[in-house]
Amino acid sequence: MFEESKVAFFLAKRSIVRGNKGTLSLTILIIGMVFVNLIFLPSIITGVAVLFNQQSIDYSYGNLVIEPKKNQVFINNVGELQRKLERIPGVTGVSPRYVAAVTIVYKGNQVTPALYAINPDDEQTVLKTSTKVSSGSFLAGADSGQIVLGSRLAGNENEKLDATPSLGGVDVGKVVEVTFNNGVSRQYRVKGILTSNSFGVDTNAFITRTEYEDAFGFRDRANQILVRTRETGKENEMRNTLLSYGVQEEIWTWQEKSANFLNQIIGSFNIINFIGTAVSLVIAVVVIFIVIFINTVYRRKQIGILKAIGIDRSIIIKSYLFQALFIFAIGTLMGGLFLLIILQLLAANPIVFPGGPVAPVVDLPLIVRSIVSLFLVSLIAGYVPAWITTKEDILSAIRG
Amino acid sequence: MIICKDLTKVYGIGAVQVRALAGVSVRIMRGEFVGIMGPSGSGKSTLLHMCGLLDRPTSGSITIDGIDVGTLDERARTQFRLNRLGYVFQDYALVPELTAKENVYLPSMTRGMTARECTLACSEILTLVGLGNRIHHLPGQMSGGEQQRVAIARALVNRPTLLLADEPCANLDSRNSKIILDLFQRLNRDLHQTIVMVSHEEWHMQYFDRIISMKDGVIEKEERRSGAGESGGPPHEPAGA
Repeated sequence: MFEESKVAFFLAKRSIVRGNKGTLSLTILIIGMVFVNLIFLPSIITGVAVLFNQQSIDYSYGNLVIEPKKNQVFINNVGELQRKLERIPGVTGVSPRYVAAVTIVYKGNQVTPALYAINPDDEQTVLKTSTKVSSGSFLAGADSGQIVLGSRLAGNENEKLDATPSLGGVDVGKVVEVTFNNGVSRQYRVKGILTSNSFGVDTNAFITRTEYEDAFGFRDRANQILVRTRETGKENEMRNTLLSYGVQEEIWTWQEKSANFLNQIIGSFNIINFIGTAVSLVIAVVVIFIVIFINTVYRRKQIGILKAIGIDRSIIIKSYLFQALFIFAIGTLMGGLFLLIILQLLAANPIVFPGGPVAPVVDLPLIVRSIVSLFLVSLIAGYVPAWITTKEDILSAIRG
Repeated sequence: MIICKDLTKVYGIGAVQVRALAGVSVRIMRGEFVGIMGPSGSGKSTLLHMCGLLDRPTSGSITIDGIDVGTLDERARTQFRLNRLGYVFQDYALVPELTAKENVYLPSMTRGMTARECTLACSEILTLVGLGNRIHHLPGQMSGGEQQRVAIARALVNRPTLLLADEPCANLDSRNSKIILDLFQRLNRDLHQTIVMVSHEEWHMQYFDRIISMKDGVIEKEERRSGAGESGGPPHEPAGA
């Protein structure tokens, strides 16, 4: 067996070293590109998932979201619950808030965004929204009559520049009219504009809880409490901890809250990725198959002669397998090099998605999966044509 | 010793059948240089292919050194060809990416010989065929005669029981043909190498110990010659050229 492999390797090596360099280089280049394709798209998809996950935590939900019990609209005595939550080990921030649909009007432009009524100091312990002010400033605890708008909501004077319904270009210092769902209308001066690249922030509006409670005439309530924990990834454990401390409201993890949206996006990307991967592998099979098949058909007579002088068929097949594996190995290395260059370029000039700049995530399982699939494909594409051609009887092969 | 008994070979099926061999029996003794001659379609190459285990007879048997080769499976036949037979083809049939040395090296390597043993055997055999100084040349860098000598070296490197040559001079000019035939004769005389060679050149007859003439798939006559190779060369050249 080892002797056979030695002879097969010897034949393959000589064929590679002294064979047609042009065809070999082109084949290696194609396999390299296939390898890049196998890695690149999934790495971008993973990058998008990571980005959206991080944005969900940093700008929308924190780690855990507490909501009213079934059939209740508000969490009452929220101050007491907040203090209880803040004492639980592992909790680093708690932000009670009201979330409501409102109508905002500015110069005849009317939009119905989500309004978040927050305590700015509490909010900063959970979310990073306050760090994304592009003009003006964020809310302060004592603010009254002030509103902060997301940049997509504020919009542009030229409405063609707006991808979503907007107020048509509101600047800091301007006054907008907000109508709550109880019919109360108030005028608020725009204190700041937020640009976070997160849809959940940039399309919405923010006021203080006090303002909201004034409009509705109640106190110490919330319909959502965001909780930040020390460690991300242990949300289920923390939920159990909260329950064990007597929290009776509904507790959701950020994954559960964002699951639908994210799953839809990732699901769509995965379909594209599957098609891309399948096409890449088919290209790899076809290219290696054709190269080896033409090679073997061209050397049909030579294969017959080798068999005639006592070289076993399995040695000849193995020699073509070694050639296919050489193409795979060098192609993969070259592809890896291309990929490294592409990643460097993307690090310098990141692809900007609606959610922000996406860094491709190339992890070990992805690399291993791509290498293994390309290896198997090369093995099959090398073996089958060699097997077909060497099956022919010696005299037919020699006669051509 | 090679014993072929009642060999028949029929190609095709149904009404369109060609009988390439029609009951051929022949016995080749160790150390003989046998020429198989005859016109095209006489069955001489078919007989050679049978003896070389490149094809199977429709009926009849072939025994080489006491082994009934008809009973061997494909893998055993390949091993048999590697270990006991040497084949020289009309068109040299060298691997173009291998140098002369590597082409000769290949069968020894396949037999499992060490690199040192292979190199030793190669150098020895290439020197024997007069190519000691051309061992690193690729086939494309050698003349037809030189390539054929490499092919002979490859056929001999495993010290075969039987060397089979299928019109080895067909693609060579008279000068190179004579070099090859002289080489065969030397191998036969000095190493007692058994050789069976197919030819249709009348002037080759002088090299053979025995001539088997074939026609229409049967042996027409057998002629034993004495003093083989003592007269000259190709008809258009002066004797001893």
